[in-house]
Amino acid sequence: METKIGVFICNCSGTLNNIDFDAVVKKVVELPGVTSIKFISPLCLEEGKKKMLSCIREENIEKVVVAACSPEFKEHVFREVLENAGLNGHLFSMANIKEQCSWVHEGDVTGKVVELIKMAVSRTRLLQPVKMNNFSVNREVLVVGGGFEAINAALQLSRAGLRTTLLEREAVLGTGTTELENLCGFDINAMVMEVKGDENIEILAPAEVIETSGKIGDFNVRIRKGGEEISRKYGALVIATGYQTKLALESKLKSDVNIVSQEKLCHMLEDPELRIRPRTIGFMLDFADENSRLPTLATLNNALAAKRKWGSEVYVFCKNVKVDSERIERLYQEARDCGVMFLKSDVSPKVAAENGKIKIEAKDIFLGEDINLTCDVLVAEECLLPAEETEALSSILNIRRDSRGFYQDENVHLYPVASEKKGIFFIGGCRGNLDLSRVLTDVSSVVVSIYKLLSSGNILAEVERVKVDPQKCVACLTCIRICPHNAIQLVRVDGGKEVAEICDLACEACGICAAMCPAKAITFQGYRDEEILAQVETIGES
Amino acid sequence: MNNCIVAFCCEHSAYPAADLAGKLKLHYPENLRIIRVPCAGRVDLIHILKAFEKGAAAVMVMGCEGGACHHMTGNTRAKERVKYCNLLLREIEADGRLVAMFNLSPNAPHKFVGAVNEITKRIKESGR
Repeated sequence: METKIGVFICNCSGTLNNIDFDAVVKKVVELPGVTSIKFISPLCLEEGKKKMLSCIREENIEKVVVAACSPEFKEHVFREVLENAGLNGHLFSMANIKEQCSWVHEGDVTGKVVELIKMAVSRTRLLQPVKMNNFSVNREVLVVGGGFEAINAALQLSRAGLRTTLLEREAVLGTGTTELENLCGFDINAMVMEVKGDENIEILAPAEVIETSGKIGDFNVRIRKGGEEISRKYGALVIATGYQTKLALESKLKSDVNIVSQEKLCHMLEDPELRIRPRTIGFMLDFADENSRLPTLATLNNALAAKRKWGSEVYVFCKNVKVDSERIERLYQEARDCGVMFLKSDVSPKVAAENGKIKIEAKDIFLGEDINLTCDVLVAEECLLPAEETEALSSILNIRRDSRGFYQDENVHLYPVASEKKGIFFIGGCRGNLDLSRVLTDVSSVVVSIYKLLSSGNILAEVERVKVDPQKCVACLTCIRICPHNAIQLVRVDGGKEVAEICDLACEACGICAAMCPAKAITFQGYRDEEILAQVETIGES
Repeated sequence: MNNCIVAFCCEHSAYPAADLAGKLKLHYPENLRIIRVPCAGRVDLIHILKAFEKGAAAVMVMGCEGGACHHMTGNTRAKERVKYCNLLLREIEADGRLVAMFNLSPNAPHKFVGAVNEITKRIKESGR
């Protein structure tokens, strides 16, 4: 006996006035499998949902088609109704008769509406249920890195009640955080003390990750600490390996007394025994590296300090001063008020060392004039690069990096701190995010997402929505190679045969493997070949 | 299938773009039939060819912008498949341009309508 399909039609409170619903109902009733058809409007509000629920129960409907608005907005609402009625949430399709039919066409669209419902019904007929299951997960988290963001994340994770391991390459925590200390006044030592005193946080330093395997909730990590190798299990990984800076200088110039970095200038400013105060200082900004928020902050801070402490003449050569992060706009205004000169140029100025002085030639695009300046000290521009270990770690984790070498930050669709592999997160410098407010945002969003995933010890996920048929699989490894989320692995089944297996927790249900599999061994419930072809075949039938 | 256009739309980009086109009440030809897929990479050769077999005038595969695919490589794989399908159509002396891949972002309803109009133009040019 064929399954009973119920069709529910909604006219969205009368906004779909170019459809003759009586004619639609007459046509749809004739479709094979459709046992009941109801016109309820509006369907998505409480009353409509109640009517739908009681109708499903009374008429013993097994599968549901809703002809209404877009599934993008309301799919979850109707799925909930199905689940309340005791049906599987996947035995359900929507025909989008609002946004993709009534609203985009003028004149009567009854024919198209009937066809869209037909397509949905033919798909629904083939749908199979997908079960949900609770998978237990490990509640421990590994944070790789020992800088400000790593320490901060570890503290917050521990406060959220998750056991955390902090793994640092150097022997001491909190190295390489001078910039944040100098610029933002964070007391890194107090934070390190707090980490050390926290029972929930274990510190492994110096240590490094040498191998990872597994999936969210169950990562196996091999760690080298001292001379020995240890193996640990974690539920989620947080990467906070930070960044490094490099002076952007032409090859003939070298960093020396006259050409310094921001950090060196900071030391000079704090040095009470400095004999000769530089009278003219030039800064370079935003020529070599467009991601210049942190250098901008450092430049403005140092320029102001030099002006106030030494009374020097300060010139900032820049392409653009990027003021779109916290405090910078105000600092910029202050610097201008103090008499710091900003000279805007399109191309990088020419710099030459002459008789212990630095000659700078530039063309200011606002003044329209060439500027020749001799200064005592040039503060070179700094490029921000990912930390040295980034490359090695990305190949260990099997995660891609962007064109600049930072961890994947280009995918606009993904949750910003998440990677393509579920359960691995990035914070701050290693993903090219450098200024403090953004780093803090990163830390918070990572902590919240990990808490959401691991706190209960269970993750609810669909079971075998995408599935490999072990009978058909010939272990050609195509799916393992192409899976963008690394969710497929090779396992040995009874009889010694090796087949691909999809991990339900790591799978993001994209269906790329189902399309690529040369043996057609992979089925994707809801988007199986049969279901897509059924829709294609229905088009234009009438 | 009396000259329908079949559009396989990725649920992360083209499908929301089509919805937005509806919200803005933009207009496009009525013979467009949208099939929602989880990723453009899910669209297989058989789906495209079956549409032609059933008499579709043209097939569009619509996915995310290059470099912005929700599933990293889905849109490039779809593109390769569409390219291969072009060759198959040429081999049987049909107009290869009637199957096309379009990349758009979810907030690009005008680009969506532009793509539909473009394929309609190609259908007219090919004389069907």
